[in-house]
Amino acid sequence: MELLPTAEPGRVRAVVAGLLRARRWLAVAAFGVLVGATAAGLLTAPLLGHVVDLVAGGRPPSALTTPVVLLVLIAVVQGVLTAYGVGMVARLGEGMLAELRERFVERALRLPLDRVERAGSGDLTARVTADVSIVAEAVRRALPQLARSGLTIGLTLVGLAVLDWRFFVAALLAVPIQVHTVRWYVGRAIPLYARQRVAVGAQQQQLLDTVGGAATVRAFRLGDRHVGLVAARSEETVSLALRAIRLMTRFYGRLNVAEYVGLSAVLIAGFLLVRADAVTIGTATAAALYFHNLFTPINIALALADDAQVAAAGLARLVGVADLPAPSAPEASVPVDGSVKAVDLGHSYVAGHVVLSGVDLDISPGERVALVGASGAGKSTVAKLVAGVHHPTRGTVTIGGTPVDELATGRAVALVTQEVHVFAGRLDDDLRLARPSALLEDLRAALDTVGALEWAEALPDGLATVVGEGGHKLTATQAQQLALARLVLADPPVAVLDEATAEAGSAGARVLEEAAARALSGRTALVVAHRLTQAATADRVIVMDAGRIVEAGPHETLLAAGGPYATLWKAWSATRPE
Amino acid sequence: MGVLGRAVAGQWRYVAVAAVLGAAHQAGEALVPVVIGVVIDEAVSTGDGDALLFWIAVLAVVFAGLSMSWRFATRAAEGASQRAGHDIRVGLTRRVLMPRGGAETGRLAGALASIATGDARRAGMVNFVIPAGSAALGGILVTAAALLRISVPLGLLVLLAAPPVLWAGHVLGSRLERRSAVEQERAPHASGVAADLVAGLRVLKGIGAEGAAVARYRRTSRESLAATLRAARTQAWHDGALLTLTGFFIAAVALVGGRLAARGDISVGELVAAVGLALFLLGPLQLLAWVNGQIAQGRASAARVADVLAAPPLLPAGNARPHEPVLGRVLVDGVTHGPLRDLRLEVAPGELLGVVAADPAAATALLECLARTADPATGTVELDGAPLSTLDPAEIRVVILPAAHDAELFEGTLSDNVAAAAQADRIPDAMAASAADEVAATLPDGADTVLAERARSLSGGQRQRVALARALAADPPVLLLHDPTTAVDAVTEARVAIGIRELRRGRTTVVVTTSPALLAATDRVVVVTGGAVTAEGRHADLVRSNPDYRATVLS
Repeated sequence: MELLPTAEPGRVRAVVAGLLRARRWLAVAAFGVLVGATAAGLLTAPLLGHVVDLVAGGRPPSALTTPVVLLVLIAVVQGVLTAYGVGMVARLGEGMLAELRERFVERALRLPLDRVERAGSGDLTARVTADVSIVAEAVRRALPQLARSGLTIGLTLVGLAVLDWRFFVAALLAVPIQVHTVRWYVGRAIPLYARQRVAVGAQQQQLLDTVGGAATVRAFRLGDRHVGLVAARSEETVSLALRAIRLMTRFYGRLNVAEYVGLSAVLIAGFLLVRADAVTIGTATAAALYFHNLFTPINIALALADDAQVAAAGLARLVGVADLPAPSAPEASVPVDGSVKAVDLGHSYVAGHVVLSGVDLDISPGERVALVGASGAGKSTVAKLVAGVHHPTRGTVTIGGTPVDELATGRAVALVTQEVHVFAGRLDDDLRLARPSALLEDLRAALDTVGALEWAEALPDGLATVVGEGGHKLTATQAQQLALARLVLADPPVAVLDEATAEAGSAGARVLEEAAARALSGRTALVVAHRLTQAATADRVIVMDAGRIVEAGPHETLLAAGGPYATLWKAWSATRPE
Repeated sequence: MGVLGRAVAGQWRYVAVAAVLGAAHQAGEALVPVVIGVVIDEAVSTGDGDALLFWIAVLAVVFAGLSMSWRFATRAAEGASQRAGHDIRVGLTRRVLMPRGGAETGRLAGALASIATGDARRAGMVNFVIPAGSAALGGILVTAAALLRISVPLGLLVLLAAPPVLWAGHVLGSRLERRSAVEQERAPHASGVAADLVAGLRVLKGIGAEGAAVARYRRTSRESLAATLRAARTQAWHDGALLTLTGFFIAAVALVGGRLAARGDISVGELVAAVGLALFLLGPLQLLAWVNGQIAQGRASAARVADVLAAPPLLPAGNARPHEPVLGRVLVDGVTHGPLRDLRLEVAPGELLGVVAADPAAATALLECLARTADPATGTVELDGAPLSTLDPAEIRVVILPAAHDAELFEGTLSDNVAAAAQADRIPDAMAASAADEVAATLPDGADTVLAERARSLSGGQRQRVALARALAADPPVLLLHDPTTAVDAVTEARVAIGIRELRRGRTTVVVTTSPALLAATDRVVVVTGGAVTAEGRHADLVRSNPDYRATVLS
């Protein structure tokens, strides 16, 4: 396992700064407008203090009209500016997020497959789902709150200093307690929340396992054991949630202490300053109200501290991938024909564990070659190397005279494997991934070639039907036909098929074999043969065993030769007396 | 009693404690502005140092009280809510796995799992919501009492004006919400598309479609951004409007309170306290609105949970037990079920019977009846002369094991999976017969390799061999195999066929398949066409004499 890179904090800051620079005027405007909104809001407390002074000074009730009208005006200005400011912060944050996630997905999709596999398929998936959504959530929810709370806190402290610098000093008494509390909390909360997320994921996985396999659980009478497994996972999440809540309540308990210390200090300062005639009662009131109004924004800002840490970790994992150098787009080298040549091919997925050695291939344009052998003989490895999705540890592969890694994958040689995926969205959009410029007629023709047009048009909305995850569910055979239709649309001179008919069951296998035969016509084809009937119809059969080619030639010749292939064929046809 | 009722009843002590302490916490929060007002009146205005110290000490007591009551109220409430959620989750799992089945009918596994996680949690939340409601009411009562004590007209103004302020905010909000609901739904779309493209990465690479995929994602991301921004702008105006409304409310309190203070009806400190209380009151009122929304959500979740719990079982109870010892004679008589039409079929004790059905739906329907995962519309299925419909479904599972072609492997090691329902001494033979021992040999830790994500790391053929080993190791009196080797290579398949034959010698086995390798190993083959048995005999004879059979099986 070699996880994909995670960016250093400095690099993350640089990338964020870069994104910010591209929007600097929006950022300045958003900041300015929010400062205006917050400053307007902060005029409320002194105006209330002014009301107190007017009353304490024995002025007539009519004198209150002016400050009250001002309070109404402030409310309007504050509301409008906040709406604009928060809107701008959203534009700023969401714009940056969109650019980052696009850059991330682009790099992710262009990563070499062996790099993704070395990291484990979960790594990239986790980044593209969990990390993107954690960062998005932070931008959506935490960023506006943090911006407003931060400004309120900062400007309130300024306000306290304007009332009298000694109020400011009194309020600062709360700060050491808060700083200490946040440090104490973050150090404990982050590992705990990380464990909690893992536990919640494990619980979800266990439930999917158990519920998704309910029929199997019942068949094997594993019900009690599975209820026990679910209960154990669930208990784990409950106990971690309770630990988290204990931690959180202690966190806010300590913040209560800070609130009390700060508030008492401001009240005592007010008392002393009024007694010394340095400020009016109204000013002392305004100071107390200022501080009391700080409770909520401080709690919001501090509670976001751990969200911010988690988001930063997610961001580092996104930037880590987004920052990878763009792979040099292979020059559009065009193979001169559809010939395939491999010389002394060898491969090991894990250093020292050789799965393939000394394989030579020479396939003429338009020839159809079947690879035969037991599981683990190295057939799939040859398929991946020829298709260029993996790079051989030894030897070279050339397509039409050009080394395969100088060709854009999929253009000159395409690979269809037993791993089928139906892309979520409309069926025609799925097909157009293979050829974005395809017209509707092209799509229909491709579906017709693989015998899929009939069912595709019978779908609820025809080719516009939403299929895949969350849409219309296609059968395994239909999904495979779709994969073959994509191959027809991509229209490469060379096609590699690896057990593309294996999963569909016997009835579907025949349909798919015919579809594959039509999809391959006119192309050079390397077919990993699962059923020996596929081998019998090929121009040439290559038999593999333990990572080496042991025999090659046309079906009839090999049968006559009485070698390994003849033995395989005998075993296979013994079950089908003729 | 409903799901929510049971959730509360199971934890009522904690809920009660949390409700009392929660109310105490909100009362304490309400007292803070009151004490600030008193400090201004009694100490700041008068310059009385002793009064200052006394009231600062009182403030300390208030803070200690509110902090502690919040702490323990939250812990009790969260504990009660989590434990109730846990109980619901385990109850749901038990219901889904019940031998009589029925809970999955019409529900996807993902949907059921989300009911057992999200809905169970939200239904359990009722134990958090009730104390929160009690706390809000406590805060409102104390605020009301304090305000009315200061001045009846001012108190009435605040108490009567605050709910409409919030209500106006709510009306405004829900209007905007409706308008932006569509936008918000679109917003998360981008991450779904990205995950889907990554899931299909190998397919994209195989046909060189990375460029097209990147372009598609960029388009989705931009659409998603535009939708998110429209929703965010709406939200921003909502926030702004709420701020303005609150400001108007405070101005009104300042106007009325100021006039009262100027007339000498209330003190300056009481004016300060009234402004503070007015601001504070918005908190518990909002909490009450939150409680309201949560209860609605909790009800909806509880209804989904109740639906699953109350799902009608697929099979009637039946309470007889199969005769011991089980001989394994199976008789299907006059069965009409799905595409099956008046089908008759007999399996002798210890026979290895092959069933060929060109129509996959007929194969599935027959297996459902044989395994009794469903009862046929008409006709009977008997085991050793006893109709399956009279037997307890849980007891049937002891005797008849259906090994479905899409059986799941579970998280755990390969040997855990094989041993799941096995006699230990059967495991090595079962592993060898199904060629699962070869699968184990190719894995890094052999049979002790952990199969993650439902064994997705194995190829289709490898998964099938492990699943077959598990079924063979369970060694049931009657074993039903459905297409056990579709993804297994031809050479291995021929060996597995012989392995099944040897291992199941003397025990009844039905193999539903069109694979010639498996059929060649059977004692007898029956062919089901058009819902009824149309031919039977030995595989070799059928291949020679029956062109339809040849076409179905050998292609």
